[in-house]
Amino acid sequence: MAGKWLKISVLIMAFVFILTGCSDESGGEAGANSDQTEITLGFYSSGSADEKMNELIEKFEAEHPDIKVNTQNAPYQQFFQKLDTQIAGGTAPDVWLSDGVFVQKYAERGAAKDLTEWINEDLNKDEYYGLDFNKDSDGKYWGVPQGIQIGALFYNKDMFDQAGVDYPDENWTWEDLKEAGAKLTMDTEGKKADDASFKPDSVKQYGLTFFNITEGWMPVMKSYGGGVLGEDLRNSIVDSEENKEAVNYIVDGMERGIFTDPSDLQAFQSPMSPFPSETAAMRIGIYARTLAANETGVNYDVTVLPKGPDGERFSPTIANSWVISDSASDEKAKAAWEWVKYWVQEDEVQKEWAALGEAVPVKKSVANSDLFLGSGDKPANKQAFLDSFEHAGTLDVNAVWSEWVKKFGDNINRAFLNETSVEEALENADEEVQKVLDEFYENQ
Amino acid sequence: MADMSDNLKPKDHFPEQQGEKKQKKSKLTLAKQKKPKSPKKKWLTDEGKWGLFMISPYLIQFIVFIAFTLIASLYFSFSRYDMLNAPQWIGLDNYDKLINDPVFWKSLWNTLYFTILFVPTQTILALILAAALNQSLKGLKLYRMAHFIPVISSWTVVLYVADAIFNPRFGLANDLLLKLGMEPQQWLNDEALVIPVLVTVAVWKGIGYMMIIFLAGLQNVPEDLYEAADIEGAGVLQKFRHVTVPLISGTTFLVLVLSTITTFQAFEQIYVMTGNSGDITAAGGPNNASMVLMLYLFQQGFAFLKMGYASAIAWVLFLILFAITLVQVKLQNKWVHYEK
Repeated sequence: MAGKWLKISVLIMAFVFILTGCSDESGGEAGANSDQTEITLGFYSSGSADEKMNELIEKFEAEHPDIKVNTQNAPYQQFFQKLDTQIAGGTAPDVWLSDGVFVQKYAERGAAKDLTEWINEDLNKDEYYGLDFNKDSDGKYWGVPQGIQIGALFYNKDMFDQAGVDYPDENWTWEDLKEAGAKLTMDTEGKKADDASFKPDSVKQYGLTFFNITEGWMPVMKSYGGGVLGEDLRNSIVDSEENKEAVNYIVDGMERGIFTDPSDLQAFQSPMSPFPSETAAMRIGIYARTLAANETGVNYDVTVLPKGPDGERFSPTIANSWVISDSASDEKAKAAWEWVKYWVQEDEVQKEWAALGEAVPVKKSVANSDLFLGSGDKPANKQAFLDSFEHAGTLDVNAVWSEWVKKFGDNINRAFLNETSVEEALENADEEVQKVLDEFYENQ
Repeated sequence: MADMSDNLKPKDHFPEQQGEKKQKKSKLTLAKQKKPKSPKKKWLTDEGKWGLFMISPYLIQFIVFIAFTLIASLYFSFSRYDMLNAPQWIGLDNYDKLINDPVFWKSLWNTLYFTILFVPTQTILALILAAALNQSLKGLKLYRMAHFIPVISSWTVVLYVADAIFNPRFGLANDLLLKLGMEPQQWLNDEALVIPVLVTVAVWKGIGYMMIIFLAGLQNVPEDLYEAADIEGAGVLQKFRHVTVPLISGTTFLVLVLSTITTFQAFEQIYVMTGNSGDITAAGGPNNASMVLMLYLFQQGFAFLKMGYASAIAWVLFLILFAITLVQVKLQNKWVHYEK
């Protein structure tokens, strides 16, 4: 009897091993020569860019016969969900493309490799944009930019011409923007925002479309001298006079119908739609927004973002970056570093990627060349993106960025919708943001 | 059909068959008969072992993929766990935080509110629809199909249909309100209206499925009962109330339990309809007015990497669902009739 029972359990065990064994098999070394280092590279898909990425990887392999690259890619949301579980399961790619706002999330949780030494050794920092955007408060580097997104002011030339308003320039303040915006805002009966009978509830055309952090409140608050986190990125500085002034400026613009408020945006397929669909005359936009505007054929150009009341200017920046896994073996990490170097150093790679028009090239020489500036595609004044680097800053990115952005956004949106006063919204936001920060950093 | 042997009750007339039966019986109860011989208590019979072996593929799947993950999530709910690093035991901290988390309470209330609106509405409407489509009508299949199409449509498609109606600028609903001389509404962007709107769309999408279940129930109601009711002079409504409703109460119970569970697990709809461009952190608005437990759990776990906290939410959700289902099962004795 007992023997039979034993047999059965052996069978069951064997079955379990077969089941669990299956999953480990796939990551094997099949197809690689023994002297080749095989690395896995993960990147999130962005339409036509996938093809180009694969092409560049093939070129890299041809130049580095000792390295074999396996790729993993998925649409943005799925990519990062999968990545988190992969890291948890110890099967993360050796090198991956991270959204700039997530680099610290991985760095501060020990999933990303400290690249300070390699960057100091191999890269001349003056040659590249945005390396410092992945530097933490201790001066350590956690990623190397793959492409830069930087904010500028987009304006629809046809709408400006029609309203007889001068195009924006580098001398504009946010107040100038609102004043011009009022002349560009129209209700369904064609009345302008300054008109006494203007109906701010039925706006047909907005002066400025305003959305969320990067292309909304952050650049305004920072150019007013405010912000969300202090320099150490561990303390909230939300409840300040500067922020109050900035938020009051925004709320007034929304009340008058010149800026889109969060509920106005609900009417659009995407909160990004108003500018490319010519429902808004201006937008704060990162470089990637040129793609949608070019696609719909808007007649537009860009200039640097307006100044705050004290002449301060702020361009929000996101440096989407290559991050190397902390759990990659030395050999694989080194091979991955070869890829990163290849990406930023090779003019050819930089040029090919720049041609896609998705991001400002990382290599300054390429970004400042005719290839980027004089490509013939709109906007004509691409120089404005490069000029913006002078007052570029990150979005106060730290390990709990997504979480505090949500807390801040929820509160500030209530002020935008007039459900609460600006003071109360900032007070609550201050408290809730601090709570998020404390919860994470006090347990580190 | 259920028990042929019952039909053969006058056993003495069929001595042979009886003998066969006895033999079978003795095989089946082999272990039972042996029992007195062996004083040792055996927890499994030989056949039990074979049975276990036969179901082992499912059993292993259950142990590895369900039981193990359940226990792991229970453990995580007592830990700080960011997925990227090993979990750290923190005792009841997550549950303590949960009790003091206003967003958790809000999402719990929203979930209940969604359920209270959704379950009765969908059940009653599905029953009426099923009763209506249980007649002999021309083009009956077409009607049934029309009501079933939303069930198999993805939420993304439903979103576009819903947007055509509830879009505050271009939607039909506001057009209608304006024509009636009423104020246009913000619908999904209005804290008070967002859940009712979501429920309306969910009912529209889910009703076809429940209708099919009801139809199956309705077709099992014996025709003779209606005939009897006709003879007694019962009207249409009386027949519905006193014949149909009691006889399909088993089906109704199933529908109620299923819809309750679905609403507690509602996620995709709210994610798709209240977020923007698939941004999980933006879903559940405005001002958390449509934040439900599943969405909150997902956000905490996967967007903010607080898997321990998310696990605690999951267990609370499980306990609530368990309690509600228990209540439903207890209450069924009072109103559910199964035909003998």
